[in-house]
Amino acid sequence: MSGEPTARRTEEVLDLALPTTARGPSPGGPLLEVRDLRVRFTRGGRVVNAVNGLSYTLDAGEILAIIGESGSGKSVSTRSLMGLLPPSAQVSGSAKFEGTELIGMPEKEMRAWRGAKIAMVFQDPARSLNPTMRIGAQIVEAIRTHRKVSKKEAAERAVELLKLVRLPAAERRFYEYPHQLSGGMRQRVVIAIALASEPRLLIADEATTALDVTTQAQIMELLVELQQRLGTAIIMISHDLGLAASYAHKVVVMYAGRAVEYASAEKLFANVRMPYTRALLGAIPLLDRKTHELLPVIPGQPPDPAALPKGCAFRPRCDVATDKCLEAPPLKEHEPGHWWACWHPAGSEDTAAGGRAGGRADEVRVGSARQVEDGA
Amino acid sequence: MTVAVERRTRNVTAALLASPSLRLVGKRLLMAIPITLGVSILTFWVLNLVPGSAAQQLLGVEATEEQVRALEREMGLDKPAWVRYLDWLGGAVTGDLGKSFVSDQQVTTLLGERLVVTFELVILAMVGSLALAIPVALLAAYRPNRLFDRLSMVVSVSGLSVANYVLALILVLIFAVQLGWFPAIGYVPFTEDPVENLRTMALPAAAIAFPLFCFYTRFLRGDLVDQLLGQDYIVTAQAKGVGPWRVLIRHAFRNSSFGLITVVGLNLSTLIGATVIIEQIFAIPGLGQLMVQAINTRDMMVVQACVIVFAVVTVVANLVTDLLYAVLDPRIRYGSS
Repeated sequence: MSGEPTARRTEEVLDLALPTTARGPSPGGPLLEVRDLRVRFTRGGRVVNAVNGLSYTLDAGEILAIIGESGSGKSVSTRSLMGLLPPSAQVSGSAKFEGTELIGMPEKEMRAWRGAKIAMVFQDPARSLNPTMRIGAQIVEAIRTHRKVSKKEAAERAVELLKLVRLPAAERRFYEYPHQLSGGMRQRVVIAIALASEPRLLIADEATTALDVTTQAQIMELLVELQQRLGTAIIMISHDLGLAASYAHKVVVMYAGRAVEYASAEKLFANVRMPYTRALLGAIPLLDRKTHELLPVIPGQPPDPAALPKGCAFRPRCDVATDKCLEAPPLKEHEPGHWWACWHPAGSEDTAAGGRAGGRADEVRVGSARQVEDGA
Repeated sequence: MTVAVERRTRNVTAALLASPSLRLVGKRLLMAIPITLGVSILTFWVLNLVPGSAAQQLLGVEATEEQVRALEREMGLDKPAWVRYLDWLGGAVTGDLGKSFVSDQQVTTLLGERLVVTFELVILAMVGSLALAIPVALLAAYRPNRLFDRLSMVVSVSGLSVANYVLALILVLIFAVQLGWFPAIGYVPFTEDPVENLRTMALPAAAIAFPLFCFYTRFLRGDLVDQLLGQDYIVTAQAKGVGPWRVLIRHAFRNSSFGLITVVGLNLSTLIGATVIIEQIFAIPGLGQLMVQAINTRDMMVVQACVIVFAVVTVVANLVTDLLYAVLDPRIRYGSS
């Protein structure tokens, strides 16, 4: 554990000539395999089911988007992978990372994985950096937590990392405090911290939500560039379907703690099956829409995770729901590579379904002006 | 040309004035003047209302009216209050706080002797309470709501509900009377015998420090737990793989320390108030004891000086707190951005 391997790795990281990574999809199975993940919180006798049987796989170097409304269990599910949930959380199911089970791993062992193999970037860069520590010190800490290197070596590497995330004037910024940086620059620093030990998996928990649109695009481009150059797999948590469509390879749509649709981005966006995903897509503002026209919104509220409706959780808000939906539909691979959990999937060839969806959009528009006001 | 030079000078002055810490010091020091003046006027006025005079006290109950009046005239006590105040003020601004009516000593000399003793007591209490409160709060916050946390809660809540003079008597009963580890009363100067000095100071310092310890423990533990449960930078640190103690000390405690410093600084005036009572109980020749004696003998000059010293110390303590805060917290150090 001398400085030598670090120096080599640093070169690897900084080798701009290297077009793509040598690390392809790992031969020995997927990088991350989540099976029937469940997270439950018990607070004063109230049981909150945050995640109810989530499954997906992620290959090395892949970008997976987890999409869903607030409270759908996106963040909780990924935090449970890193053991970052409060002690009141009960986690069950399985999450194998490079073949090693993460769920139920002792805290001490988990700590060696955190940051080293799996790293996380959070939503609000204004809050995710310690306001009283210099930026450099926060990166150095991340480096020295997992590698026995001298302070000087770690500092050099920290500056390299700042350059890697394209922070202007990296040497000077090293000595500055978070409040001296803009939001975009802070998020670059958070990413630099996450990359300190070259993790195999980076979880970006709404990493661009708190940023303005231009900065958002820059940060996303940076993440994709790092994914391509370093071969880091990325789980991006977002409620922005557009972002997922532009950057992700695979998409998981979550609703009430469950995956309701899961496919490659191409497949999913070419042929949306789950009514919930369709409704989400319908709620995206489009340029060709008339100005001042109310956006279609999904009627009703996301279900209370402490009192989930019987059967399909989306049933109360779904316009194609029938009595059959009182029985929970399983997430099944209905078409090769396309999974969904719905008894009445929308079919793109099925003209009747298309007409229904159009009619629904109008109803939604009229019926839920109140929702729009609430959202504003 | 001259306009340009003038403008430049003005810019330099403006830059100096713009330095946030310098401006703060200047403003606070300027504010200290009216505060001290106000306190001195108020004290003078209140003391003037107190029945009985120093002359009466010196001569005793047997003295005749003529004798008292003669002595008053000699001491200048027959002049109207505002004249006496201005006389005193004139001396005070030149550093002469007058003479004690009782011992005829210079008040400044008296203060010098006594101030050292009270200062030692205050420092011991402050350092002692913090030295205990910080580790206890860290241990409590390490596992919130577990046994140690609950225990420290019980101790600190009960400690906060006991008045320090009651606590002082309990301490004397246990450690001086029963166990005989420390003397019950008395004082040995540090220069004479350092060990004996600390032995005599131990119980009075503990009586002042314990309620403070309880307060700081509660405050710090609460602030640490709030951060551990609610701050994103704590999660960032945990996600780095940083161990729990390091998260607690380097990330949470670092942020809590600013609040703690403020609380300690604000507490200093309460602390000085506590020394007045505690010095009486343990017969420690500090400023508090001097003041109480002076009030009893209507030794106005000494009382006045003691009150002024307390006021100045409070103002200075608050200033130092603010400055320390500015030095330690980078967000304040660099001004607003």
